[in-house]
Amino acid sequence: MKKTIKRVAIANRGEVAVRIIHACEELGLETVLLHSEPDMGSKAYRMATKTICIGPAASSESYLNIDANIKGALAGGADAIHPGFGFLSENASFAEAVEKAGMTFVGPSADSIRRLGDKVQCKALAKAGGLPLVPGYEGEDQSLERLMKEVEGIGYPVIVKAAAGGGGRGMKLILKASDAKEAIESAQREAQSAFGSSKVFLEKYLDRAKHIEFQVFGDSSGRVVHLFDRECSVQRRHQKIIEEAISPSLTDNLRRQMGEAAAAIATLGKYKGAGTVEFLLQDGEFYLLEVNTRLQVEHPVTEMVLGVDLVKAQLLTAMGEFIFDDQPRIPRGHAIECRLYAENPYLGGIPSTGLLGTVKWPEGPGRRFEYGFEKGDEITPYYDPMIAKVIVWDESRSRAIRKMIHTLKDSIVFGVHTNIPYLIEILNHPEFVEGTMTTRFIEKNFPGALAAPELTAAEKALVELGSKHKPVAGSSLSNSAAESSSSMPWQGYWRGV
Amino acid sequence: MMILKTRVAGKDIEAPSEIVNGVLWIHHEGRTFATELGKKKKRHRAGGASGGGDLEAPMPGKVTKILKTAGESVQRGDAVLVMEAMKMEYTLKAESDSKIASIACAVGEQVTLGQTLVTFEAKAGG
Repeated sequence: MKKTIKRVAIANRGEVAVRIIHACEELGLETVLLHSEPDMGSKAYRMATKTICIGPAASSESYLNIDANIKGALAGGADAIHPGFGFLSENASFAEAVEKAGMTFVGPSADSIRRLGDKVQCKALAKAGGLPLVPGYEGEDQSLERLMKEVEGIGYPVIVKAAAGGGGRGMKLILKASDAKEAIESAQREAQSAFGSSKVFLEKYLDRAKHIEFQVFGDSSGRVVHLFDRECSVQRRHQKIIEEAISPSLTDNLRRQMGEAAAAIATLGKYKGAGTVEFLLQDGEFYLLEVNTRLQVEHPVTEMVLGVDLVKAQLLTAMGEFIFDDQPRIPRGHAIECRLYAENPYLGGIPSTGLLGTVKWPEGPGRRFEYGFEKGDEITPYYDPMIAKVIVWDESRSRAIRKMIHTLKDSIVFGVHTNIPYLIEILNHPEFVEGTMTTRFIEKNFPGALAAPELTAAEKALVELGSKHKPVAGSSLSNSAAESSSSMPWQGYWRGV
Repeated sequence: MMILKTRVAGKDIEAPSEIVNGVLWIHHEGRTFATELGKKKKRHRAGGASGGGDLEAPMPGKVTKILKTAGESVQRGDAVLVMEAMKMEYTLKAESDSKIASIACAVGEQVTLGQTLVTFEAKAGG
């Protein structure tokens, strides 16, 4: 069924809002950015056809507020809403509210979100479909006593996760009995604050597994296909840092089996649009982890190796106009994505907030930069610390790694610290270079803060010179707000200078 | 942004730099480094505990849980309080076996970087 869409509301922020606006512009669609108060200083705000402020900084009152998003979209004259990822993107009630208000939800149906996105229902569906699952507990009894008893039954190590979660929030690892109480309660609090539900479930933690996921896509005709795999084994506190396509770890046979399993569960869930089926792979056996019923942060690596545009495909599917042709889809070359976090790698990755100074991305063949903030914008403490994504493509994995290292080294970000030095260390690590890393790679190889390197003679001379300079027009940047507000003081500094 | 130009060991070097809110940022040969202008070298340590073992906020954020009370004895590694920033939880732990002298923050309080949150009694002979 064809639907006319003229103006798309974006219920998100940062680099993904920019990504969606680009896709809309290329399809000739207007956009309405639904944003919180502090996000007036962002690239998406400057790009959107219209902007509507839907609430204050706290996500619970803005980006997670269904009513405010619906009212904002209607006020902005939108006939569709794209939820991006995170926030309300996997919220079935939101998808329903959008349709009830007479707009189109760019994503799967509320029913599909419930069946696949709710981890408990998804596991039931997977069981029925014969897909391999990790042992665990997903019961309704959420009392601490029951959860602690189930942890004992599953056997250590056990992971506790937010039932409505994703992105590493509300996830804690329990290694021994004495960790259990603190970990469960902490996961429940994080789940409540990030997703509005404290429901958690438990799972056996596979301690040398790789994270492999398959992009799936359901077109307007109801046909569901997989668009190959990504590997995202480099994770810190269960949050992905580096992703790549395709995985260096799969044999042709495993790739075929896992791809078929991914397409099968998405088909069972009557999936429409872009989604991701996540697996853990250990000792040649794979287990279904979860299904993400939305666009994924790391979607660009799939786009790079397959030559597709997943966001435009999502929008066209919502209009009833996207149908896969019968051309074979074959991945080519290798793509890597690094997530740039505003954090200080020399202080254990603590968030670095403040006024963004000059930012320069070193453009070049096979390099792609996705960012939502530019010079003069404020990196605030209210949201995820990811400020940009750097994506590269090259003919082989080793060339892609080398290209990424060069690209990161030539990237300039002033005003906030970034994890670039940390990313470069990972990309140079033999385990990463060989492709043998597991989800414990960071914990094993980078357990603490990076050691701050000594300044070289040249660097010391530059610091001395720069310190003497009287700021001239255009060379110095400041904002009175940051200086007067106690919640956003300047924080970062290079230790040892 | 301005370009710093100097000569070190017979070699001309150039580096983009910028002062943002009183901090000098420089990018040179693949590394970015920053230094606060007009400050003495040594400031309080960010994160972890200071010399006396007191807990300071390693980042701006909200205190979400206080797990110990004043007067309580703690062992090295015991979780003392939980903070949240950028939607992530961080647990602050005792750096040594000691006794808590005072809790200088409250649940729900927004704290700034380096703010003292918990103080410990000085250890006898330590």
